[in-house]
Amino acid sequence: MAETKSTKYEPVDASPVKSFFVHMLTRDIGLDEAILDLLDNCVDGILRSKQTDHEAKPYGGFRAEIKFDKDTFEISDNCGGIPWSLHDYAFKMGRPSDRPPDVLGSVGVYGIGMKRALFKLGMRSLISTQTADDAYEVDITREWINDEGQWRIPVHPARKSRTENGTTIVIGDLHDGVKKRFGEDRESFESDLETLVATHYAFIIDKGFEVRLNRRVIKPRPTKLVFDKKMRRGKRAGIQPFIFKTKTDGVEVFLAVGFTRPIPSQDEIEREQDEKKYSSLDAGWTVLCNDRAVLYCDRSELTGWGEAGIPRYHTQFIAISGIVEFKAEDPSKLPTTTTKRGIDASSTLYLQIKNKMREGMRIFTNYTNKWKARAEESRRQIEAAGPALSFHEIKAASERLEFNPTKQSVPKGDQFKPELPLPARPEPQTRRISFVKKVEEVKLVAEHLFEDPDVDPSVVGEKCFDLILSDAEAKR
Amino acid sequence: MRQPPYHLRPNKAVDRLTLIEAIKYIINLGVSLSDYTYYTLGGPHLEDCRLIYEFYPEIKMVSVEEDEDIFKRQDFHLPCGTLDIRQGQFKSFLTEYDPKDEKSIFWLDYTRFEPGNFEDFMVLLGKAPPYSMIKVTMRAEPRDYFNKKWKVQEFQNRFGAYLPRPETRPPATGKDFAFLVQTMLRIASQKTLSSATPLTFQPISSFRYSDGTSMFSLTGIVRQRDQQDRVKEAFKRLQFSNLTWASPRLIDMPILSTKERLHLQRLLPCGHGAGAILRQSLGYLIDDDQESTEMKLQQYADFHRYYPYFMKATP
Repeated sequence: MAETKSTKYEPVDASPVKSFFVHMLTRDIGLDEAILDLLDNCVDGILRSKQTDHEAKPYGGFRAEIKFDKDTFEISDNCGGIPWSLHDYAFKMGRPSDRPPDVLGSVGVYGIGMKRALFKLGMRSLISTQTADDAYEVDITREWINDEGQWRIPVHPARKSRTENGTTIVIGDLHDGVKKRFGEDRESFESDLETLVATHYAFIIDKGFEVRLNRRVIKPRPTKLVFDKKMRRGKRAGIQPFIFKTKTDGVEVFLAVGFTRPIPSQDEIEREQDEKKYSSLDAGWTVLCNDRAVLYCDRSELTGWGEAGIPRYHTQFIAISGIVEFKAEDPSKLPTTTTKRGIDASSTLYLQIKNKMREGMRIFTNYTNKWKARAEESRRQIEAAGPALSFHEIKAASERLEFNPTKQSVPKGDQFKPELPLPARPEPQTRRISFVKKVEEVKLVAEHLFEDPDVDPSVVGEKCFDLILSDAEAKR
Repeated sequence: MRQPPYHLRPNKAVDRLTLIEAIKYIINLGVSLSDYTYYTLGGPHLEDCRLIYEFYPEIKMVSVEEDEDIFKRQDFHLPCGTLDIRQGQFKSFLTEYDPKDEKSIFWLDYTRFEPGNFEDFMVLLGKAPPYSMIKVTMRAEPRDYFNKKWKVQEFQNRFGAYLPRPETRPPATGKDFAFLVQTMLRIASQKTLSSATPLTFQPISSFRYSDGTSMFSLTGIVRQRDQQDRVKEAFKRLQFSNLTWASPRLIDMPILSTKERLHLQRLLPCGHGAGAILRQSLGYLIDDDQESTEMKLQQYADFHRYYPYFMKATP
């Protein structure tokens, strides 16, 4: 040991620095994901507000509008605003562990999404919000970000009154990379972002929420599953999804897997392989957590493909799609990653549900394998089942189904297992005949027919049959 | 594969000559054409190679053809000794293509409208060195999708990666379809050469035409991001340049006799209102009415320098 010094060891300063939030945490997410985080904030606003009573369209009347150019990004909504009572949570960098969720049914757990998104885009943000009781503006400037000693953000009364309660975030002083994405890559970025919102927000938009991107309304692109009309009247046989539902530890789970379209013909499989991924875009599993897609059309082991007896995803399974919905008032119980755009693959709940995902998927991979040689016949069955239904339509239609309680699975739940049609066995065109005779007798007949006692006994037997057949045909 | 005779594709002939014209402007960038190699899917007659050799003999040429019989016809039609014809799949050729710093001029001349066209374009963009020129031609025919609901779904599934919006439908007019294909190529170029990379794809000209089937043709150049002004300056005098991704220009040449063309030639160029001036000079209509006649003659005035004479000859 070195010579003892007279240093006084005092507690060290472990307080965070702003650059950690501004430059480090922002690396965890892409620019498009940051924008989705801001959209999540809008939806949290709806959850705080009173939703409409319309069961199928609870988000009806609420909207968010995104606009950007190479200098500015703006997102505004009419989703109720951020109450001043929540300012500690809304603008604090992270959530204290003892604080209960402020928004029941949100996906935010760590209290970092909005702030991380602001820092991801630029160095100047103005957040204007208005609720029934408050109207204020929070101004985050480059100077504030660079001042390590200042952790209090200036807040002013709102300068303008809004016609509807809601929030507008304007971000300027954009980072160079963001400027370029919004300027030089505008067409491709806008196209990708619209696809991302149309898929990941499909279920929320389908429930009435309106999202505009640079003035254009985004149409949802929900996964739909074929649900035989006969089944909706209570019959079990037909092209129908496998459904499992349960509620465990404050999380409601609803899972449906089935066909989105007819199984592909051999020609289509070959073309798809040539053209790679195009038509496969809608195949695979989508996982929803509190209405938001955290995984979209996944075809990897993460969702059960290629493990525990399920084949790896292949073009022939292009028609198979599944949706799992997790709903919880406490978002910390949801199996999401910190970025909210992925599944926590080690979550116990998710691993349990994944067993049911595989169980359901197996029904449809088996069907595909059994029918792939008769794809045209299968196509007619699936098309005859009627138009595919959206997730909430499936949930509504499933009310009329007879569910069976699961005995073995953990967690326990109720499931509907469809009876998909099986291809009829073709009538056999041939029959095998076999019989046993004494060796001496076989040799005798062989000698009689072939003048050779050592001819193979099966040839002797077949010749006997042919002779009698010929005789029978002559007398017919 | 059967290909329509050249004299039945006058608009294609004009489009081909616009490439020849655009190549001339490359030297404004301060580079030598002798540093370039021209790569083409030349077709049985290798007409483009013949023109390149005629105008720019210093450019090396490579043609890639998959079909064995067309390859044999190419060998038969070889326009010069400097053309290297190769048989094989173009995709395989692109995989092997390694230009290092050697500049290229590519003509991706497709007869169909397929996702593979965009893939080839993207692969090429990822490899072509700065100041390489790329021309992409492909089918852009609204009839392929007209009144076919299932085709619309197929269109969105197959081309979704390049569409400006997920629910973009195939447009009903040739003009809109061509503009959509141009936008799709723009998106493809941004996906490959994103703003994080030092290179970008700069459009030079774009045309749409129909010789029975609607086609779209885009020519552009790979450049450093900070070379925008220099490239635009180099091509600004190119007639019918499109340096801003504006709507593609129509090529719709009238069918005129040699005698008519020689008559009109004396009046050209004649600036604004050429259609009316040429119609008056002819003294009769060459199309359904005065308006369409003047439009056709305006087209002739615009592109007459690129319009080849198709003559009857005894071999």
